[in-house]
Amino acid sequence: MPVTLTIDGQEVTVPKGTTILEAAKTIGQQVPHYCYHPGMSSPAMCRLCLVEVEGAPKPMPSCVTTVMDGQVVHTQSEEATASRKAVLEFYLVNHPLDCPICDMSGECSLQDYVHEEGRDSGRSREPKRVFGRDDFGGDVLFYGDRCVMCTRCVRFMSEVEQDTRLTVVDRGNRSVIDTFFEEGLDGTNWHGNIVDICPVGALVSKDFLHKARAWDLEHTPSICTSCSQGCNIDLHTRDNLVQRLKPRENLDVNGWWMCDHGRENYEWINQGTRIEAPLVRDGNGGSKAVDWKEVLGALLEQANGAGAVKAVASPLASNEDLGALKALVEALGGGETVYRSARAEEEIVLKGFPSLARRKDLAANTTGAELMGLERAGADDATGGLADVAGHDGVLVVLGDALEDQPADFGKNAALYVFLGSHESEASANASFVLPVTTFAEQEGTFTNVAGRVQRFWPGLQAPGMARPPWLILGALVAELTEADLPRTAADAFAALASAVPAFSGLTYDDIGTRGALVNEPVQLSGD
Amino acid sequence: MSDVPFKNPGWAGNTGEFDLTEEEVRGDDFVGTRPLHGGHASGAGTMPFMLPETNPDAKLFEGEYQERFDKILTRYPDKQAALLPTLALTQELRGYVSAASMDRVAELLGLSPAYVRGVTTFYTMYNKRPVGRHLVQVCTNISCSLCGADDVVEAFLRYTDTELGETSEDGNFTVIEAECLAACGFPTCVQINSRYYENVTPSEVPKIVEHLKAQTDGDS
Amino acid sequence: MAYPYVSDREVRVLSTYFGDPKQRHIETYVKRGGYSALEKALGMGPDDVVEIVKSSGLRGRGGAGFPTGVKWSFMPKEKKKAHYLLCNADESEPGTFKDRELMRWDPHQLIEGCLIGAHAIRAQHVYIYCRGEFFEANQVLARAVEDAYAKGYIGENILDSGHDIEVTVHQGAGAYICGEETGMMNSLEGRRGEPRIKPPFPAAVGAFGKPSTINNVETLCAIPHIVKNGGEWYRQWGTEKSPGTKLFCVSGHVIKPGNYELPLGFPLIELIEDVCGGMKDGNALKAVIPGGSSVPLINAEEARACKLDYEGCVDVGTMLGCASVIVMDEATDIVKQVRRMVDFYAHESCGQCTPCREGTTWTAQILRRIENGKGTEDDLDTLMEMTQNMVGTTICVLSDSVAAPVQSSIEKFRDEYLALIRRGERVGAA
Repeated sequence: MPVTLTIDGQEVTVPKGTTILEAAKTIGQQVPHYCYHPGMSSPAMCRLCLVEVEGAPKPMPSCVTTVMDGQVVHTQSEEATASRKAVLEFYLVNHPLDCPICDMSGECSLQDYVHEEGRDSGRSREPKRVFGRDDFGGDVLFYGDRCVMCTRCVRFMSEVEQDTRLTVVDRGNRSVIDTFFEEGLDGTNWHGNIVDICPVGALVSKDFLHKARAWDLEHTPSICTSCSQGCNIDLHTRDNLVQRLKPRENLDVNGWWMCDHGRENYEWINQGTRIEAPLVRDGNGGSKAVDWKEVLGALLEQANGAGAVKAVASPLASNEDLGALKALVEALGGGETVYRSARAEEEIVLKGFPSLARRKDLAANTTGAELMGLERAGADDATGGLADVAGHDGVLVVLGDALEDQPADFGKNAALYVFLGSHESEASANASFVLPVTTFAEQEGTFTNVAGRVQRFWPGLQAPGMARPPWLILGALVAELTEADLPRTAADAFAALASAVPAFSGLTYDDIGTRGALVNEPVQLSGD
Repeated sequence: MSDVPFKNPGWAGNTGEFDLTEEEVRGDDFVGTRPLHGGHASGAGTMPFMLPETNPDAKLFEGEYQERFDKILTRYPDKQAALLPTLALTQELRGYVSAASMDRVAELLGLSPAYVRGVTTFYTMYNKRPVGRHLVQVCTNISCSLCGADDVVEAFLRYTDTELGETSEDGNFTVIEAECLAACGFPTCVQINSRYYENVTPSEVPKIVEHLKAQTDGDS
Repeated sequence: MAYPYVSDREVRVLSTYFGDPKQRHIETYVKRGGYSALEKALGMGPDDVVEIVKSSGLRGRGGAGFPTGVKWSFMPKEKKKAHYLLCNADESEPGTFKDRELMRWDPHQLIEGCLIGAHAIRAQHVYIYCRGEFFEANQVLARAVEDAYAKGYIGENILDSGHDIEVTVHQGAGAYICGEETGMMNSLEGRRGEPRIKPPFPAAVGAFGKPSTINNVETLCAIPHIVKNGGEWYRQWGTEKSPGTKLFCVSGHVIKPGNYELPLGFPLIELIEDVCGGMKDGNALKAVIPGGSSVPLINAEEARACKLDYEGCVDVGTMLGCASVIVMDEATDIVKQVRRMVDFYAHESCGQCTPCREGTTWTAQILRRIENGKGTEDDLDTLMEMTQNMVGTTICVLSDSVAAPVQSSIEKFRDEYLALIRRGERVGAA
């Protein structure tokens, strides 16, 4: 039975049991709060979400007060704003004026709330209590003085990760968050999330400490590539470098969370020494940088009648990239494509949100690869498995796999060896053509996660030099070899994929949106 | 309870309106000596747990204490609820609740050590560090404060030769201020380990301190 | 008669056997008519017992004064889950010392009240949450409960009634906030004793998530008498809205401090001057706190007009609370005593809610600065407004309790504050 109430003069209808705070969200009214978080229990202790409810004797905490028919709520009335102003003053009594040195500055809700509704000056003239800085282990530093005691971090560890590592010690004004002495957060797998949910700069990331100012960062929606869960994330970039990763809310995939393994694994995206221009090797150890038109023309000449194709793809390539590779292999007369991916022994499930786990496949698009008929090769550390391919005498195409474990004579027998990658290695030495490609962070595309959800990502970085997305390069080759059109956008490339692979048939970028969409057939998780 | 060589006036004898011994007022004769195994399970969790003689290395738990612990567990629907009585039992044995004690209690009850730390530190009566053989807790809250409690604190500090909150050099005394002990009609009330001393005035303090120094066991 | 002084103006109901150590022995208790009310109650349906208590008008004696019969009637009438009765023996309100006396002199009276209450709310387990510092009371209760088990008053099939009721004495560990009913439930569950938000109310979701009722010791001690003699009998004392007798804990500057059981509505000034023998050393009365440190102070004039019942206290601008009468004479340093009370709240705040966690300490800091001669008149305005911001903005009323002594003392004894602020002069001596 839905309930209808009035919030700030607007009629709102929501399901029974909805809290006033959530009901206000539906009409775009964000009631200030700290301790409330939709992914955890609500202790209603921060006292910031107090709103005026007509007929109630005192302001009510909107995060736990459920809606009632005919209720009239004011979130911006004098009573409500006076209440918030009063509570905010108490928050500032002992809060240090750390803004100039605090990482949270610019994305801090205490700054925001006080700026909007706080007093213009504090009245406390007393010395502030001091807790100092504490290393909680893992990636987390704790600045106790800044803590507003919302206990989101404590509740995350005990309710969501379900490994109670944090607690409140002592009581009253002496209370402070702490771990069990030296035990800290070591050995936990999701503790990075407590830095996300801390509303102020009390919990900060060691990795990000003093690295960049929040207002200098650009946020781009993306997908984490460290395993096949496909957590929705945002790339935070500055100076064309990824500074950090943050989870993006998606209740169907990762809730509000991401694991520490994925969160810390971003530096590879910033790795310099990229291949910057298409290279043509002259067979005497020399290479020449040429433009795209020239290199593709030369490549196509050599491809004619060069023999069967063996291809190696990376599971970090997008669906569009892999689809284009598949089309190219077919256009060249067919062949085998393998992929290599690191694989962990165990999943690490987030017990309080069990559909989220750090999966065994440690790459974003292993499922996409499987759906397109690629076969897995190599060991669980992503080495080996290329004995067949290394000495192949026909066409050899390598997409994204840097072949770091392979010897320098890799591909020396090939009639045509094309290496598409972001970095060279010893094993790319024999490639006739070395083509620079973008990483996922530099292109638009989709990945398919372990549950068969196709999810879009957008480019947050500018590709170096002349690097291009693989789907564009391979798509151009396919357009020359067949009747297919040149894909001008990633959406075009996806459409080409959708018409070729039944699992993706009927899906469009619009369908996928920012939440993702499931493929057509149930996905068999390989090896699980 | 042993005889004390001074009149502790907090019980009825002094007002002259009742004819009672101290044991009768306190109920010591009624209670007798409660067995270490806790007696009937309904009261197994409630025993004096602030004692002068303790052993920081005592095992948690063995013998009669294990029996008492088992009885305590039967009184609650889950193990977590037995946490407070278990911490009291731990302090009874070891004198204070150390990090190692918290860890062991957590293990016994299936809780996380951090959680046990959070609960232990919330409550005033669990000593987080060792204290003197006699923990002197002087109420300085309003009713006793109106009747000179501050002077009683001063006197205890002087005669035990300690700073407030610190343990004396001979390890015998720690003097702290306490909140209202609910003996407001008998100001100033002082709790020393598990026993109340009522109607304490500064002139009685030296006698009390001497008496405590002379004790070798028991908790009165 | 109460303890350690007796007054002929007392009405003996709960305190009849104070000072009589034989009363602890179950044989004596039974010989004197004890546990007959329990037998009578077990012969009735639970709802009938609730009706008797409702008709008596008994109000909770822990400070809130909520009608007990009504509170019991909130419990589910159909027992689908476990029900619990929690006896709040965590007496920590400054100035209050009645529950300790009730437990150490007449433990079976409390036990009988608990068992009748458990029957009335269909509870199968009673937890007596007895304050950790009360080693005497805990031991006496434990022994008395053991005796009651042995004689079949507690346990399975009590007095052949077919009802099973268990009683556990649970010792606290030193936290005033565990006297708040939801803080107590959390403490009983082995958690930090932090109060919970209401709703949900204990009668719906209480201890261990089950329907629970929390009652004060004095409230439960009145129950056997009410059940035995009827609700109307209880109304012969007190007033229409505040029926019955109350144990008044008098402390401070009187000649005969102690507990006195008197009918509600008793004039405060007679309590001080007659029952307690008047002011110590013949000093003049300056201020009284009639209900424990959480209620406003009243000055001598208001004290003379004050009747000690729930409504009478409200009429003079204070509250009855738990009826702990703290008497202050002309030599009292009001600022120091208020600061000491606020120190107490700062020490005991659980720390969950920011207005309380920050406000209690901030208030104490300002008062200490004033006490040390470093205050300003702005501080008084800050105190008045800031403590008002602590009222109604928190989960429990510990925060509200700070406002009472601070605001009432600034309003009524402003000159003392000003003397310190303007001249660094203390008006009082202690």
